Amino acid sequence: MKKLFRLIRVGLRVNFGLSLLRPKHLLENKRDLWLIPMIGLGIAGLAPVLFFYLKGIRFMYGLLAPLGQQGALLTFGLLAGQFLILVFGFYYVLSAFYFSRDLDLLVSLPVAPAQVLLSKFAVVVVNEYLTASPIVIPMLVAYGVQAKAGSTYWITAVLVYLFLPIIPLALVSLLVVGMMRFVNVSRKKDALMIIGSLVLMAGALSLQFWLRKMPDSGPGHQALIQFFSEGGLVRKIGAMFPPSIWATRALVPEAGASGLGPFLLYAGVSLALFAALFFAARAFFYRGLLGLGEVSARRRRLSHDVLSARISSGQKPVRAIFLRELRIMNRTPIFLLNGVLSVVLIPVIFILFAKAGSGGGGSDTTQIILLLASANPAAVILGSAMFMTICGCLNGTASSTFSREGSHFWMSQIIPTPPAIQAKAKFLHSYAVSGLGILVATIAAIVVIKAKAVHVLLALPIALTAAAALTALGMIIDLLRPLLKWTNPQKAIKQNLNVLIAFFADAGILVALTVGVSVLLRRGFSKAGVIVGLAIFLAVLAGSGYALLLKLAARRYGEIET
Amino acid sequence: MIELNHVSKSYNKGRVKAVDDLTLSVRPGEIFGFLGPNGAGKTTTIKLIVGLLRPDSGTILVDGIDNRKNPVAAKTVTTYVPDTPAVYERLTGLEYLNFIGDVYGVPKADRLRRIERWLEIFELSEAVSAPIQSYSHGMRQKIVLIAALLPAPRVMVLDEPMVGLDARSAHHMKEMMRTHCDRGGTLFFSTHIMEVAEKLCDRIGIIHKGRLIAHGTLEELRARDREDQSLEKIFLELTER
Repeated sequence: MKKLFRLIRVGLRVNFGLSLLRPKHLLENKRDLWLIPMIGLGIAGLAPVLFFYLKGIRFMYGLLAPLGQQGALLTFGLLAGQFLILVFGFYYVLSAFYFSRDLDLLVSLPVAPAQVLLSKFAVVVVNEYLTASPIVIPMLVAYGVQAKAGSTYWITAVLVYLFLPIIPLALVSLLVVGMMRFVNVSRKKDALMIIGSLVLMAGALSLQFWLRKMPDSGPGHQALIQFFSEGGLVRKIGAMFPPSIWATRALVPEAGASGLGPFLLYAGVSLALFAALFFAARAFFYRGLLGLGEVSARRRRLSHDVLSARISSGQKPVRAIFLRELRIMNRTPIFLLNGVLSVVLIPVIFILFAKAGSGGGGSDTTQIILLLASANPAAVILGSAMFMTICGCLNGTASSTFSREGSHFWMSQIIPTPPAIQAKAKFLHSYAVSGLGILVATIAAIVVIKAKAVHVLLALPIALTAAAALTALGMIIDLLRPLLKWTNPQKAIKQNLNVLIAFFADAGILVALTVGVSVLLRRGFSKAGVIVGLAIFLAVLAGSGYALLLKLAARRYGEIET
Repeated sequence: MIELNHVSKSYNKGRVKAVDDLTLSVRPGEIFGFLGPNGAGKTTTIKLIVGLLRPDSGTILVDGIDNRKNPVAAKTVTTYVPDTPAVYERLTGLEYLNFIGDVYGVPKADRLRRIERWLEIFELSEAVSAPIQSYSHGMRQKIVLIAALLPAPRVMVLDEPMVGLDARSAHHMKEMMRTHCDRGGTLFFSTHIMEVAEKLCDRIGIIHKGRLIAHGTLEELRARDREDQSLEKIFLELTER
């Protein structure tokens, strides 16, 4: 037990960089102090979202309470949290259990396989508390406040939250451990990661489609009440995955019943699944893990002619570095999923959602937007540009470009290619990924939404210019504070604070531009003038951002010590 | 040639002096062996030479070029092999060598000739088209070595280059080092293997707690004490103080 706790402690320290987050270290490393206001700004940026979420909960409570159906709100929150944990859990569990680089070291230690796996599981559980917290905690708190709940509710709420990730994560873990043991995937781990993620995405999309295809019960409040009421959608899904119903009954006991029984059921099933995972880990974990580090590769001697043909005839460094970026990004599953695949999938998902539930002809919302837009082409151009920019830039390619090099960054520092040239090549790569997203978004807007091609094509240069500015910004953020020490590639892109900071910065810029353009249009400036002005402003922003990036690269490559 | 003039480097706001007022020079055509106990400052010195670390004070000239004032020019004449061969695992060996050839501007004919030769010598011809992530530690070390040899640099800086190499490869490595310097190149390398340093090096430097405590030819080092002392004994005596 002592060993297990020590493993968990080390795992948490490594995963969250706790040793480096001590105030002593933070104060010593003054370069990171800028993070404090940035994190503050990020939280401030989230405040309006939280405000509207809480307002929504209050509104729904007011609707459902007179009917005695308010408990369904909790079921909804807990279900949403567990669903999120289930989807993200697959990534986290697979990469933590089987693909993190410290496994070789852990396997050689005199600790039981189950202890290694449970320590990894604990780290994933903590990650999932963070993932689910924005949805579940406000719901539990807002409900308790609205219901003027007593101490029993609050104590139960804490316990319900603590048990929340166990059931979905244990289920995913059992699936992953079984799959790695019994399916011969050890040599195809990259393909497994990509296919698994795509299957999960397809599953999540199918669920969304299914939800949207559910018969509508009418407009407005009635539909919402129906959604949450007895026999409504929330209860139906809850019945399929009952832990959220048990947790709800533990928090809000049914008339005349105690909450203890449902709570014991909820906690008992969590513990039983945890125990099952313990036994599965003992029996199967190492058998699935061992040999996973081996990478199969066909080896054959290249003839002189073949070698000669494959030896490059001297590419310029920009092209060589661009190709390196492209190859490493596209051959690392986590990078591929968060880069190229996400820019291709995001526009498709947007469009599918816009069209879902309409029988293929475009949803009412889409139709209304298009109808309104036909009277206001400037709005279509600006809206399309915004859509295309978001599709191109809503990924971590630019804001993790230096971090992704990780322990290989020394090579970029010793090669005789000026850092500005290297930054240029990296910019071109990140911009190409954004360009791909914009291209898919353009095609999707014209072919699927059936927006007028001329409007979308007029939006294209604006989106491309905005993407250049946001690409430079993302790279600058990453260059200021590259995350080069990671053992799991997931940390370089999915769990990289720079990606989050860039996301908020991008959102801030896009919101500021939207507000600015609206103000100008309301004040009677000509629409064409505003669009041209916006394009010029974005071009200046992109040009200065790019120039700053190159200048900063020249300085930072010499400053970063590896 | 390599020249370090009063170079110092410390960590933790000066509390840990990794390299302390180090002055030494390595002449063209010379193999310079850099010895020292673990944590003595060998890797820090090497990283300072190749520009991976910034000195707190002092200057470093590589082939007469100040590596802080003109880093790209200094890097053009230098190649480096780190103590751990962390290389792009997702590239094939050949893609990695092509990348190095491109950034150093090695012409195709030279590239083909050198790659073929070194692949043969280091027995990597069959693995070169496979991803580096399928390589063993020794194979990774070899591909990094080949990459360092590919540009035919004037200055080579190697950190523990023999680690992970089999006996045959280590032998070829030593031959390569000698040939490089016989052609006028400069070679600076760190090692823990006294025998290698004794047989291979034209001059030796011993660093201890960040300070260069002795340097010179093997004979000069022996002359400090008794003439029949082995390098190992000299090293142990010097570094136990």
